[in-house]
Amino acid sequence: MTVTDVTTRTATRPMVRAEGVTKRYGPVEVLKGIDLTVAPGEVTCLLGPSGSGKSTFLRCINHLERIDGGQLWVDGELVGYRRHGDKLYELKAREVARRRRDIGMVFQRFNLFPHLTALANVIEAPVRVLGTPRERARAEAARLLERVGLADKAGNYPGQLSGGQQQRVAIARALAMHPKLMLFDEPTSALDPELVGDVLDVMKGLAADGMTMVVVTHEMGFAREVADNVAFLDGGVVVESGTPAEVLGAPKHERTRAFLDKVL
Amino acid sequence: MTSDTETVRVVPVRHYGRWLTALLVVGLTVLFVRALLDSPNLEPGTVREYLFKDYVLDGVVTTLWLTLLAMVLGTVGGVVLAVMRLSANPVLRGVSWGFIWVFRGTPLLVQIIFFGFLGALIPRLTLTVPFTGTVLFDKPTSVVVTGTVAAVLALSLNEMAYAAEVIRGGILAVDAGQTEAAAALGMSPALTLRRVVLPQAMRVIIPPMGNETITMLKSTALVSIIAGRDLMTAVQTVYQNNYKVIPLLVVAAIWYLALVSLLSAGQWLIERRFGRGFARGGVR
Repeated sequence: MTVTDVTTRTATRPMVRAEGVTKRYGPVEVLKGIDLTVAPGEVTCLLGPSGSGKSTFLRCINHLERIDGGQLWVDGELVGYRRHGDKLYELKAREVARRRRDIGMVFQRFNLFPHLTALANVIEAPVRVLGTPRERARAEAARLLERVGLADKAGNYPGQLSGGQQQRVAIARALAMHPKLMLFDEPTSALDPELVGDVLDVMKGLAADGMTMVVVTHEMGFAREVADNVAFLDGGVVVESGTPAEVLGAPKHERTRAFLDKVL
Repeated sequence: MTSDTETVRVVPVRHYGRWLTALLVVGLTVLFVRALLDSPNLEPGTVREYLFKDYVLDGVVTTLWLTLLAMVLGTVGGVVLAVMRLSANPVLRGVSWGFIWVFRGTPLLVQIIFFGFLGALIPRLTLTVPFTGTVLFDKPTSVVVTGTVAAVLALSLNEMAYAAEVIRGGILAVDAGQTEAAAALGMSPALTLRRVVLPQAMRVIIPPMGNETITMLKSTALVSIIAGRDLMTAVQTVYQNNYKVIPLLVVAAIWYLALVSLLSAGQWLIERRFGRGFARGGVR
């Protein structure tokens, strides 16, 4: 696999490293041994048909799903466990929450807090979790909302915003925690086609600023243009991974070719 | 096809049936009300005489604060029970389930009488520091649990069981994505409950809790059985002496109806406020 290649090539500690990650829901094995490495500053797109396990794997990275086998590290720390000698100790809810602070996540259905304004959504976690003084958090939230092009919507409730605007607020909300890694779970799949562009533009800007991103997406254009690496998943394994040119341009596997024929 | 300059008269359907039934119902209602008013035992003068008597007003005040206290304690306890019921800890889940099972499964009247006679079950209430024998508190139960205390205990414990189910429903109605989004931001489960889940659950919880309050106001009448000093107790005390049962029940009914109307108006205002939040996709 490409694990060793990537680590030696970048010669830095990978932001995400997965080795043989498995996950099952009852009798159904959703992930059957995922190997993947994401270097700091890189954008990795996870592609694949629905049910291939790409969203599940993404949710494993910040421990929204518990893995059943294999090992998973974020920035050198095991996800969900602490190693002591030859034993793995499961982390307490508070410790899990602590590690999640550094990992931003954007959901397919935005999941903004509907009872809070856009600005209140963005400052909620910095104020309540990090203890940032309210005034400083507000100033920074205003900057972030401006960055995603919604400076004039700070006082609006999520219900008063379009899907694309809500998703951009959700990105600002995640960025307010100064994450070292951003996870995107099909961020444009619930949007009207004409709103997709605004969200992708924000994501391109983030990538250009050097944010480490793992993106589950069906936007092939985005993957081709922005991703450093692309992994094609099917049936709970990484079928093929490499640069967009390799995977999208000259797929080696029959399953990758069949998938790309359908979506392109 | 008619030309557009031509005016045509529209004749609506005549609802002769409606007129007939309306007439019948009005007639029956008039007969019924006249039968009531013609009864010599209604005694409007007696009703007027007792409606604003000070001990009746005292009873009204007691009924009001009994309702308020039982609802406050019931709601606070209900939140705790609901959270226990949804907890990952099987012991907490079980205890909460058992509490709700008992207090929802037995009549409120039985619970009120039970607390009224608590002294018969536990004669003394004693609190000692463990292993030292130091007595912090020791009194006969009947001195501590007076009729009023028993009334508050029974009403609020009963309310906790019902409120717990209403609040649990409200919490479950909040989209799971909300908890996930809070978790992904590094919020702890307790913070998520307080800042994200409960504020959204409120919209679902408020209307049934308004109904609970109205039910509670009327349920306080049951504490008259253990001399709870409420409105019903006051009225009963009077008619047990002067045998004017019907006029005094009318006095009580007028007060309950007035108080419930007030609560209904309050409920309408609160729901409108939360409905406004819903229209723009949020509370507040």
